[in-house]
Amino acid sequence: MRYICTCCGYSYDSDKGDEMNHVLPGIDFEDLPEGWVCPLCYAERDQFDCLD
Amino acid sequence: MKGSVSSLYQSVELHQEIPPLLIGERCNPNGSKAFRESLLAEDWDACLKVALDQEARGAQVLDLCVAYAGRDEAADMVQLTQLFSGSCRAPLMFDSTSPETLEKVLPLYPGRAIINSINLEDGGDNLDRICRLAKKYGAGVVALTINSEGMALTSEKKLAVAREIYDLAVNKHQLRPHDILFDLLTFTVGSGDETMRDAAIETLEAIKLVKQEMPGVGFTLGISNISFGLRPAARKVLNSIFLHEAVEVGLNTAIVDAAKVLPYATIAEEDRNMCIDLLFNRNPDALMNFIDHFEQAKEEDGDEDTETLLPEELLHQKVLNGDKDGLEDLLTTLRGRWRPLDIINNLLVPAMREVGELFGRGDLLLPFVLQSAETMKKSVVLLEPYMEKLADEGQTSVLLATVAGDVHDIGKNLVDIILSNNGYKVHNIGIKVAAEEIIARAKELDVDVIGLSGLLVKSALLMKDNLGQFQAAGLSQPILLGGAALTTKFVAVDCAPHFDKPVVYCADAFAGLKAIREFEAGKLLSTHWEEGTVSRNRPGPQQEILDRSFNPPDVPFLGRKVEKNIDAESLFAYLNQAALFRGRWGYRRGKMSKEEYEELHAKTVLPLYQRLKEQSLNEGWLQPQVTYGYFDCVSHGDTVKVHSDSGEKVFSFPRQSNTPGLCIADYLRNKEEGGDKVGFFVVTLGQELAEQTKVLYESDHYHDYLMLHGLGVELTDALAEYWHEKMRIEMGIQEERGDMDAYVAQGYQGSRYGFGYPSCPDLGAHEPLFELLQPDEIGISLTESFEMVPEMSTSAIVIHHPQAKYFAV
Ligand code: B12
Ligand SMILES: [Zn+2]
Repeated sequence: MRYICTCCGYSYDSDKGDEMNHVLPGIDFEDLPEGWVCPLCYAERDQFDCLD
Repeated sequence: MKGSVSSLYQSVELHQEIPPLLIGERCNPNGSKAFRESLLAEDWDACLKVALDQEARGAQVLDLCVAYAGRDEAADMVQLTQLFSGSCRAPLMFDSTSPETLEKVLPLYPGRAIINSINLEDGGDNLDRICRLAKKYGAGVVALTINSEGMALTSEKKLAVAREIYDLAVNKHQLRPHDILFDLLTFTVGSGDETMRDAAIETLEAIKLVKQEMPGVGFTLGISNISFGLRPAARKVLNSIFLHEAVEVGLNTAIVDAAKVLPYATIAEEDRNMCIDLLFNRNPDALMNFIDHFEQAKEEDGDEDTETLLPEELLHQKVLNGDKDGLEDLLTTLRGRWRPLDIINNLLVPAMREVGELFGRGDLLLPFVLQSAETMKKSVVLLEPYMEKLADEGQTSVLLATVAGDVHDIGKNLVDIILSNNGYKVHNIGIKVAAEEIIARAKELDVDVIGLSGLLVKSALLMKDNLGQFQAAGLSQPILLGGAALTTKFVAVDCAPHFDKPVVYCADAFAGLKAIREFEAGKLLSTHWEEGTVSRNRPGPQQEILDRSFNPPDVPFLGRKVEKNIDAESLFAYLNQAALFRGRWGYRRGKMSKEEYEELHAKTVLPLYQRLKEQSLNEGWLQPQVTYGYFDCVSHGDTVKVHSDSGEKVFSFPRQSNTPGLCIADYLRNKEEGGDKVGFFVVTLGQELAEQTKVLYESDHYHDYLMLHGLGVELTDALAEYWHEKMRIEMGIQEERGDMDAYVAQGYQGSRYGFGYPSCPDLGAHEPLFELLQPDEIGISLTESFEMVPEMSTSAIVIHHPQAKYFAV
C-alpha cells in the first residue's frame, strides 16, 4: 500500500520503506513507529492519503 | 364519548381503531411547490388536485393553509373551502392562527372541522377568540404547547403549558376534552445539537404525562420535524419509526405525507435499531452511527422530495450543498414567515454549524465548506436590506490581525470567513499590525476575543511579546493564536504564562470557532501541554562519512544575474499536483473509496485546475522573475564565506546536536580542500496574483480565493523547482530535463535549502542573501521579520554535493 503526503507529495511505499526515517522495507503504513513524520516535509501521519 | 370530525360526506373518528389518523400536510404553500404555484396563479382546480392526490394516497383529514406573503388569507381560504367541501371526502383542518379568517370560513363549512391551531404565545387573547369560534361552530382545535417563553422543550414544560391551555379551553370555554388535539411539538434529533439529544424522549414522555393527567384529549404531531436536517431516504425510516413509537404511547393523529409512511414491519431490524438508538439517545455516537448507516441508502424519489421540502429545509440544504441558485426567491418566501434576523439565527447559522461538524468528521472537504460559506454570505447580503438594524448587541465580537512584520493574509482571512459566517462579528484589521494598534483597536471596538495570526517563526515570537504588552495595557480578552509556525507546546509553555486570560492555540479556523463557542459557554481555557508526549522523528540522510572527494562544478558565470523572460506556461510542468490538490486545495481522499476519489478528481479537481490555469495565463496574472548567481566560497566550521564583488558575505548554519550531526556548511569544501562553488536564487511570481486573490476575497468568492492562492503558492514552488533544475544543468551536474515525480522526492544531485526551513531555520540569512542577489531589481523587498514581499516568493541556497539532502536541526 502506498500513502501520499498531502503537504509535499512524498509517497510512502511499504515495499520500499523509508531510509531517511530508518524504516526497512515491508513495514505497513499503519505499523510505522510512533513519532514518524514525512521524511521530506515533516508533516505528521494524519496528513497522508491512501493511494490504493 | 369519542371525538369525531366530518365533511359533507362522512364522519371520521379522531381515535381510529388502528391509529394514527393521517392528516395530509401538502395543501400548504410552504409544504408543496405545486400547491404554492397553483395558489399564486389562482389555479383553484390545481389546488384541489393536490388535495385529491393526498386523499388517494391515504390522507383521512386534509390540512389547508393559505397564509402567504402578499396574499389575502381570508379570501383564499373562503375560495378553497367552498371548492374543497364539495369535492373532498376527507374533513378539513383549517390551518390559520387568524381569528378573522376563521370567523369567515367556519360558517361556510358543511361539516365539523378542526382549527389548527391555538397557543399561549400572546398570553391568551388569540386563544380566547379562537376557542369561542370553536365552541360556536362546533370545531375541534389543535393546541400547540407554546407560551410567552416560547416553545416548550422539556416534558415538564410541555405538560405545564398543556395544563394551562386545557384549563382555558375546557373550564373557561366549555370545549370537551376530546375536541382538543395537543401538538406537544417535535424537534429534530438530527442536528447534532447537544441540548436537543433528548428531543424525541421529551415529546414521547410528554404525551404519556398529558394523557394520564387529562383523560380524553387527543394528540397530533408534525412527525417529519423529528428528522429535519438528515438525508431524505434516512428521514423516511426515522419518521416512520418515530410515528410508531409515538402511537405506542398514545398519539392518535399525525400530520404526515401518508405516502411516505413505511409500515413498521417492513423496516429491517438493523434500521430500526439505528433509529431507536438515535430517538432514545442510547449512546453518544447514535447520530454519527445513524448517518453512517444510512449513507448508502438509496433515494428513490429524490425529485419529489426536493419538491415537497419546506423552504426552511431547502435553505438548509442549499447551505449544505453550497448552492447559491434561486436564493433570492427562496429568501423572499422565507421573509414572509420569519424575521430576517431569525432566518439568520435559526436557519442559516445552524446550517453552517452542521457544515462545520461535517468538516470536523471528515465528511466534507474544505473547498465545499467555503462554498457553503459563500451561500451563507450571499443570503445575509440579501437579507440585510430588510433588517431594521444590524443587531450587534449580544453578538460575540472578534478582532483579527496578522502581527507586525508579517504580510500573510490568507490564514487570518479564512478564520474571518468561518467566524463571520457562523454568526460572529469579526473586525479584521489587516496585516502587519503592531501591538500598540491591536491594543487601541481592541479597546475602541470593545471586542470579546482577540485572534492573532502569522506565518513565520518570527511572528510566533512576536505574538509572545505582544502578550506581555497586552497584559501591561490591561486587555482582558482571551487571545487566540494561529499560524504555521506555532505549536501547542509553544503556546502553552512560552505564551500563556505572559497573560492572565486564556491564551489558546488554534490549529485551524474551526479550532477558532470551537474556542469562541467555549468562550461563550464560559469554558474557555488556556492551551495545555503535557510533557512526555511522543517526540517526533527528525528524519534525514543517515550518512556516517561525508565524501570529500567531489570537485566543485563548472559554473557558467560568477556573480548575479536577473531573468525576467520566463514563459509562465512552462512552470505548470513543474507543479506538484498532489500538494496542490490535496494539500493547498484540501481535496483529500478522506473517507472516499479510490473510485469515488478518482471521480472527484476527474469531475471537479481537474476542470478547476484547467479553468484557473487558463485564466491566470490569459489574464497575465503570472509574472515569473528570478535573480540568481554562482559564487566562490569556503566553508569554515558551521559557516560558509561567500566571495562577491560587494565583499565577503557570511552565512551561518546550525548543526544537529545528535548524530549524525549534520550542518549545511559541511557539504562545501573548506580552504584547505581548495574552496567550492555555491549557488543562490530568489524567485517570485510577482504581485499581480496577490492582487487578484484580494479581489476574490473582497467580493466574497471564498472558494476561488483559496484555490487561486493555492495555485499561486504551488506555482512559486514550481518556479523554484524549474530554476533549480536549470542551475543543475548549467553546472553540469544534470544532463537534461528530468522527471517531476522524482523531483518531489529530491531525485537529483545536491539540494536546495530554503532559508527558514528546518535545515537552516534562521531567516536572518535573507540579509546577506539580498546583498548578494539584489532582488529589489525584480520588485522584492524584505519586511522587518525578513519576510519577502510579494508573498509568492521563495529563496534558496543551492548545493551540488550528492549527499546533500533535507534534514532538520
Ligand atoms: C504555502 C507555503 C509557502 C508559499 C506561500 C507563502 C504564503 N505567504 O502564503 C511559498 C512557497 C511562497 C512559501 C515561501 C516561503 N516559506 Co513557506 N510555507 C508554506 C506552508 C506550506 C503553508 C502556508 C500557507 O499558506 N498555509 C495556508 C493557510 C491558509 O494556512 P495558515 O496560514 O496556517 O492558516 C490556518 C491555520 O494556521 C489557522 N490560523 C492561522 N492564523 C490564525 C489565527 C487565528 C486567530 C486562528 C483561530 C487560526 C489561525 O487557521 C488558518 C486556516 O485554517 C507553510 C507550512 C505549513 N504547513 O503551514 C510554510 C512555512 C510558513 N514557510 C516557511 C518558510 C521558511 C518559507 C520561506 C521563508 C522559504 C524561503 N526561504 O523562501 C518563504 C518565505 C515567503 C515569503 N514571502 O517571505 C516556514 C516558516 C518557518 C520560519 N522560519 O519562519 C513554514 C512554517 C514551513 C516550515 N515548516 O518550515 N511558503
Ligand atoms: Zn511531506
